[in-house]
Amino acid sequence: MRRREVVQFLGAALALPFIPRGAEAAMKLGAELHLRLDDVPFSTLNRDQQALVTSIAEMIIPETDTPGATSVKVPEFIDLILTERATDDERTVFLAGLRDIDVRASALGSNRFVDLSTAKKVELMTTLDGARGDTAGAGLAFARLKALTVYGYFTSQRVEQEILKMQMFFNGYQGNVPFTPAV
Amino acid sequence: MPPMTYDAIVVGSGISGGWAAKELTEKGLRTIVLEAGRPIDPAVDYVEHVPPSEKRYRGMGNRKQVERYQPIQRHTGACDEWSSKFFVNDLDNPYSFPEDKPFYWIRGRQVGGRSIMWGRCVYRWSDLDFTANAREGYGVDWPLRYNDLAPWWSYVEKFVGIQGRRENLPQVPDGEFQTPWPLNAAEQKSRDILLTKFGGERVITNARLAVLTEDHGGRQKCHLCGHCARGCITFSYFSSINSTLPAARKTGRLTLRPFSVVHSVIYDPAKRRATGVRVIDANTKQMFDVNAKVIFLNASAMESTRILLNSATKEFPNGLGSSSGELGHNLMDHIMDGGATGTLPFATDRREIGNRPDAIYVPRFRNVKTKHPDFLRGYGFEGRAYRPGWDRGSEMPGFGASFKKSLIGDLGPWVMDFGGFGEMLPRHENYVALDPHLVDAWGIPALRVNCTYSENEKKMQEDMVVSATEMLEALGATNIRPYKEDNPPGLVIHETGTARMGRDPKTSVLNAHNQVWDAPNVFVTDGACMPSTANQNPSITYMALTARAVDYAHQLLNRREL
Repeated sequence: MRRREVVQFLGAALALPFIPRGAEAAMKLGAELHLRLDDVPFSTLNRDQQALVTSIAEMIIPETDTPGATSVKVPEFIDLILTERATDDERTVFLAGLRDIDVRASALGSNRFVDLSTAKKVELMTTLDGARGDTAGAGLAFARLKALTVYGYFTSQRVEQEILKMQMFFNGYQGNVPFTPAV
Repeated sequence: MPPMTYDAIVVGSGISGGWAAKELTEKGLRTIVLEAGRPIDPAVDYVEHVPPSEKRYRGMGNRKQVERYQPIQRHTGACDEWSSKFFVNDLDNPYSFPEDKPFYWIRGRQVGGRSIMWGRCVYRWSDLDFTANAREGYGVDWPLRYNDLAPWWSYVEKFVGIQGRRENLPQVPDGEFQTPWPLNAAEQKSRDILLTKFGGERVITNARLAVLTEDHGGRQKCHLCGHCARGCITFSYFSSINSTLPAARKTGRLTLRPFSVVHSVIYDPAKRRATGVRVIDANTKQMFDVNAKVIFLNASAMESTRILLNSATKEFPNGLGSSSGELGHNLMDHIMDGGATGTLPFATDRREIGNRPDAIYVPRFRNVKTKHPDFLRGYGFEGRAYRPGWDRGSEMPGFGASFKKSLIGDLGPWVMDFGGFGEMLPRHENYVALDPHLVDAWGIPALRVNCTYSENEKKMQEDMVVSATEMLEALGATNIRPYKEDNPPGLVIHETGTARMGRDPKTSVLNAHNQVWDAPNVFVTDGACMPSTANQNPSITYMALTARAVDYAHQLLNRREL
């Protein structure tokens, strides 16, 4: 949240009696909430599952010149969703799918995904990426993991601020702005 | 508690109640607004700038909480991690329906009502709509026509502040508009193509919105954060809190009493007038009366009717206003969830800056000039063209550094969505009544809702899919995904009817000025009053009808006829 921008914007509006209190109060509350979020421990994933989820999440969105999934605590976010938001059935299916990923890894020479070579990990993840439409097992778990990784990454505070540069105030709408992809 | 006495009572502080309060107080009447819910403090309650990272579930919602306390409300998209607090607790506010006829009643009980989270789309009707019942033999004829309401639309539009593009289309007449936001590059190109390919019949126009593009009446122009349903600290969209209630307060004649659940209207058979309303304090549960010369019921369509049903007397054993046998009947909503999305092949070198809350509208084109063989009335499309950005990541193949770079550095192709909103016919068999076995948290008898879509609406929904797909094909779209969902009525949150206006007290509950035939100092000017519902979003019409009815009530008061 770019406090300065919000306050600057409101500066022009302070003459209006109904506005000024909002942003300060909302941002203070938001900052407090965020501090609480940072303290969330793992509650559902055991150490092996944490390692698996972390490994795959980081391979989906790796650390480059910008943060990766691990450094913005995507695995912790996934654990929170599994713990507090998923139904018992959804959690069970997801965890069974994680086990299935390790079963698939054994066909590539290791009992655990995390112990595979990088090349083998990429090979298995490519296979799973093509199986995201599966209704159970490793394909389904990978699909959910990928969706939660993308979502958790781009809704983290650091990515909102440093990469998306999320903006709340625009001086008018522009619908025809030149654009060249940076890829 | 001794009864309180005012010149006027307004029940409800939502979109029409706010207008009743403004108009009554500005005409010099000491007015009390009785709101069932809590007060709203924009400084605390408006949360449109809280980003996902500051929400515990990052915007995915507190699923267990809403499933427990808001099993009905959770079905609407706006009942999210930010705004679920603006929707009722379903356990405190129960209602029932037959197992095979679900109805989703989406409600907001707080100062401002649903005007805080409404869709802000505002379209006038035409005589195509006002004459439809009479022409086709459904329901009763409207007791007014376009020219009766046009000056009142103008009146409220000027105060509300509406952006829109003048199109000179007879089925959705132009109004009093601020300059709209431009269409984006993909929408403009789509408009041009469809105008050519459909001979001017299907028009992509700018959504007509109660969202300011210019400063207006002490409110600031929209800053395009894109999250109107969470509130607006610059008061840029119209709501009771942002607009009408402050205007009423300015007169010095407004008393706003939150936590005031109206139980019933008190009727004096000797005077053949209502004398006031019976109220339950939501916190103490103490009952008290408020008296006034004139009463405006603006509690929302089904709530206002519930109050009338709960106001039975010896003379009106089925509720005040029930002598026609139509009180509670002719419930309508719109029908939606028919349409299509597709990927557009053009404008890939263009992007948009700013988050519009709503974007485009395709006004009704069915049964305007030629008759459709499968259904009566028509529908319009709401929609937008957008580039999904990182949001496409879960569906996009790949992973790793290049995947990440693409999500950050590219936006994906433009996606166009056309979602239909169609008219529902008024039918006597769609009705609400008091449930003899169910009361709310304040002991007030609750409603039982009997309502289903007819074959006409279902055929119309099928046609939405067909025509949306046709338009996308005409645009050269790929990856076209038609959609049709079989959701129950109520979910469009345009519930109307149950106390319809009409020309004849034998067949209607209200007269042409929204007066209850059986109690002329009681006016109902929310959605309950509608004899039909057209396909346009209804709120601006409630506002115009309210302003018109207050003006009439004021004339009657001056002539001592109330």
